Amino acid sequence: MNQLATLYRSRQLIAALTARDLKARYRGSVLGFFWSLANPLLLLAVYTLVFTKFFPQQVVTPYPLFLFAGILPWTFFSAATLESTNAITSNAGLIKKVMFPAEALPLVVVLSHLVHFALAIPVLVAAIVIFVLLGQTVLTPMILLVPVLMLVQTIFVAGIAMMVSSASVLFRDLRDLVTNLMQLGFFVTPIIYLIDRIESRPLRALLRMNPMTPFVIAYQDVLFFGRFPSFSDTFLMLAYAFASIALGITVFDRLRDTLAEAI
Amino acid sequence: MAGAPEFAIHLDQVSKAYRLWGRRSQFATLKSALLKRDMKLAPEASVAALSDVSFAVHRGEAFGIVGRNGSGKSTLLKLISGILKPTSGAIAVNGRIAALIELGAGFHPEITGRENIYINGIMLGLTRRDIESRFDKIVDFSGIRDFIDQPVKTYSSGMYVRLGFAVAVHVDPDILLIDEVLSVGDEEFSQKCIAKIQEMKYRGVTLVFVTHQLGQVRDLCDRALWLDHGKVAAVGDPVRVVDEYLQVVAGHAPQPAIAVTTETQAAEEPAETKKDPLEEERWGSGEVLLTRVSLTDDEGRDLVALGAGTPVTIAIDVEVRTPQEDFVFGIGIYHADGSCVYGTNTDIEGLLAQKLASNGRVKFVMPSLDLIAGAYRIDAAVHTRNGRAFDYRRGVIRFVVGSRLHDIGVYRPPHSWKFEGGIAFREVDTLKRDVPAEMATWIRESEEK
Repeated sequence: MNQLATLYRSRQLIAALTARDLKARYRGSVLGFFWSLANPLLLLAVYTLVFTKFFPQQVVTPYPLFLFAGILPWTFFSAATLESTNAITSNAGLIKKVMFPAEALPLVVVLSHLVHFALAIPVLVAAIVIFVLLGQTVLTPMILLVPVLMLVQTIFVAGIAMMVSSASVLFRDLRDLVTNLMQLGFFVTPIIYLIDRIESRPLRALLRMNPMTPFVIAYQDVLFFGRFPSFSDTFLMLAYAFASIALGITVFDRLRDTLAEAI
Repeated sequence: MAGAPEFAIHLDQVSKAYRLWGRRSQFATLKSALLKRDMKLAPEASVAALSDVSFAVHRGEAFGIVGRNGSGKSTLLKLISGILKPTSGAIAVNGRIAALIELGAGFHPEITGRENIYINGIMLGLTRRDIESRFDKIVDFSGIRDFIDQPVKTYSSGMYVRLGFAVAVHVDPDILLIDEVLSVGDEEFSQKCIAKIQEMKYRGVTLVFVTHQLGQVRDLCDRALWLDHGKVAAVGDPVRVVDEYLQVVAGHAPQPAIAVTTETQAAEEPAETKKDPLEEERWGSGEVLLTRVSLTDDEGRDLVALGAGTPVTIAIDVEVRTPQEDFVFGIGIYHADGSCVYGTNTDIEGLLAQKLASNGRVKFVMPSLDLIAGAYRIDAAVHTRNGRAFDYRRGVIRFVVGSRLHDIGVYRPPHSWKFEGGIAFREVDTLKRDVPAEMATWIRESEEK
């Protein structure tokens, strides 16, 4: 609990560091924020091409919109997790030379990726509006649930980031492990397909065990299908978020004292 | 586990061992940290950086830490600041700490100086509003106003450090920890830093220095600690601690007290215990001794009390046990409250050492010693040019200056008052004003007759 108090005290610091991260990232680049959108858009284009032209047995229409709804939360999760493997090691100077609440560092990573995610939402909404005008989908008030989903997902990602950032200081292989897991994760999360279309029951059960599954399904529910997320997905999201942050704080707390030495 | 509140910092048997990193131990560390929550170190897997260090720094004190490279000085500062945790022992700190362990440690190269000031300030515990109100002072102090809106990556290393220092000293800490940062920047800036640090000291900020500039320790610190291989070798008077350290660095056995003296028992124990302030302290390696130091008038008579403006000579009898080529004679006059009135030595005044071959006498002649009434003491020393003492006699002479005037301070410049225009005074004999009331009445009555 006193970690939460520390974090509350360092809120200005976290805000300032997040702003610094974003500014430093885009300073000097012409297209700036566009680059954080480029990767999901590219993925979107490739998968749309593959699944509408090469293997045209589309799961749902409009397929690009369905993809978009799943890719954005996945990108938030995977980019933040990947970057948090470096969050502490790349700020060695702060940990070793300044009295600094180390837990701020993974959170800064999560928050700056959350900002990227949030900035992509208007683009997604614009895409929805285009498809509404084309008569291919409908805009429902369910979209207002997106901020709530984002909040729950942020808590989930923050827990993972705290774990990964502190453990990777002592165990550097974690970074490569996470990189590979994320590539695998993209395919075992129902982003480019619908989980209900999977025929094999055991496989479906396996995919259900992926903690990102209920989050991605929930985003697809509110953004694409215009329906309230299922009870079980809602329950799972909350459970995962809670478990992740609790575990993250515990792991970080245990490793904290060794960070300044081990870095 | 707090020390008494008059302590700013209190360390109680603090030890710190660093883990030795091997290929396997890394994973073992993660595992033991997570599963057993047990960070105890096996002796073969660790190296002791500090062992059993105990000392206290008083509120408002300037405290210097000296020692060789690798003696644990920086570890000590990091423990005090909370960056590192002690392996055993307890550290209590009263007040807000700012640590200058590396200047500009948190600067991000891609963003501007202005933005970095904000972030650095917040890291050091200020709020955004605090920084806004100090922003101009910080920029003025750093002296790089023209570049403040440029990304920090374009700064020279000097500018970087200036900005870092400027932010750190404007945090208004209760305790400032400084690690080897006063030697950065050009001459002008390091003068400015030292002036700023003196100002902070004056305002009651507790200062802890780690430095290799022993002169700074002697000049700025009230007390010093000498750390040798992670252990406290000496604590106490900065001049003495620095000297003991220099003796060892020069390859001499640490002999705080000279065998010939009988009066310096105090030198045996590191000066934490309260000493009689009237007792002389003496230390040095003893190749050259100051056998007798006296304060005499121009006819060679010893003085203990003198009037203002008296001509005086400090006479020093020197015994040479081993002839020296590198030697400096020094004199310091101190007020009873410890502040230095005047200090000089032959080296400062451009006298080049030629020979110190056999016994002799050194005289320091002052045609007039214009001190204000009070108690004073004199330090006399003979030491090498880098400050290693052959014989240092602190407070070897105590004397008082009497005066009929009640002017204040320590020094009375020769002066007179002149009045022009419509301003006039009637002169009164200061004797009459300055005697006990009955006497004054008697003088007045006898004058009236």
